Amino acid sequence: MNKNWLKVIIAAFFEVFWVIGLKHADNFWAWGGTVIAIIISFYLMIMAGRNLPVGTVYAVFVGLGTAGTVFADIVFFGEAFKLEKIILILFLLAGVIGLKLVTKEKEIEGAES
Amino acid sequence: MAWVSLVVAGLFEMFGVAMINKLHRDRNWQSLALLIFGFGASFVFLAYAMTSLPMGTAYAIWTGIGASGGAIMGMVLYGEPKDWKRIIFIMMVLGAAVGLKLVS
Repeated sequence: MNKNWLKVIIAAFFEVFWVIGLKHADNFWAWGGTVIAIIISFYLMIMAGRNLPVGTVYAVFVGLGTAGTVFADIVFFGEAFKLEKIILILFLLAGVIGLKLVTKEKEIEGAES
Repeated sequence: MAWVSLVVAGLFEMFGVAMINKLHRDRNWQSLALLIFGFGASFVFLAYAMTSLPMGTAYAIWTGIGASGGAIMGMVLYGEPKDWKRIIFIMMVLGAAVGLKLVS
């Protein structure tokens, strides 16, 4: 596991926090924490994308973020577990990950797409 | 209204992601300012959508719209390959998003 992938995993961890914040924050400190989590999450993701293929980074980031938010919804916030919903979310995730992995990256003169 | 807001949030996310690419290429303050504006607007609409939708569902659809919208934009505006595999994955994302709307 190299340092860049560690950045992606930490970015996804903070991502789950800001998503929770967007839904549940209701005071100054909670909103402040949400904004800080957004900044940390995006900063790490963008930095990891400078050294790793951006499409792959984004696919992993989104996969972890989706799993994390659905898990948090059910475990911490009492959202009902519905099998058809989980299957549809997995299907959507497979589409996003597949899309990112088959998209060829343009590596022209150091430009990262 | 929550679903409309979610779609608008996805569109602003597409714009924000386009600005990440522009920032990597140009490294100027305008790109950074537009990136912050795009994601800022996206988060406002996402937060509004989540006042009535479950968090995990709203997040999954938000990110799905951003990814498939970005791919469609690349194909239409920048002449990226209209590969059948990409089209199938886009259909999967949109089909799942519609399915989630129906079961919610």
